[in-house]
Amino acid sequence: MTDPTGRVFDALADPNRRYVLEALAERETATATELAAELPVTRQAVAKHLAALNEAGLVERRRQGRETLYELTPGPLGEAMDWMAGVGAQWDARLAALRRHLRSRRS
Amino acid sequence: MEVTREVVFPAPPDEVWEALTDPEQLEEWFANDVELDPREGGAGVFRWDNGEERRATVVVAEPSERLVLDWDDEGSVELTLEEVEEGTLLHVRESTPEVATALELRACALAVSHA
Repeated sequence: MTDPTGRVFDALADPNRRYVLEALAERETATATELAAELPVTRQAVAKHLAALNEAGLVERRRQGRETLYELTPGPLGEAMDWMAGVGAQWDARLAALRRHLRSRRS
Repeated sequence: MEVTREVVFPAPPDEVWEALTDPEQLEEWFANDVELDPREGGAGVFRWDNGEERRATVVVAEPSERLVLDWDDEGSVELTLEEVEEGTLLHVRESTPEVATALELRACALAVSHA
């Protein structure tokens, strides 16, 4: 598909590409190397995914020295990813605190 | 747009329900200052040390089974409890009405990839 919507669909169809998008949503900017460090995929694979996401307009990139920095393109999809990452992290922290609280009440 | 989590707590549903609805207990894990009338139609105010404050209305309160809060600003959170062998399975779903377009887009993408 060559139309813009088609490229976005292609970009999101691959689960590893979605992981890259979600990992990027949790940071303001990241390099391919940084993202590869937290995902179960090679740096090469991450770079390919970032290129596809850039093609689809979902991430933006700029050079900083020898590295390329990526960030989510501001807009509806970026906001959705930010919201999910933020609220997800919030609940993870609360549920951990709830677990500690319930444990402390039983002892 | 929604976020879901599922966890099992080694405590019976009644105990978990109390932790979800008793303001003093909520202050131990959910927010720093809590006012809550945990009955249907009841109001809740949640404050955090960082200055954040959110208000909610209790839409559903089925003791030890289901709690739904509608946030006054937007969105809602649903908590369901299920008794399991190890204690209580808690299912959390927080949703927001915004960015519906992005969710639809993503759903379409997934549908396309499975076609």
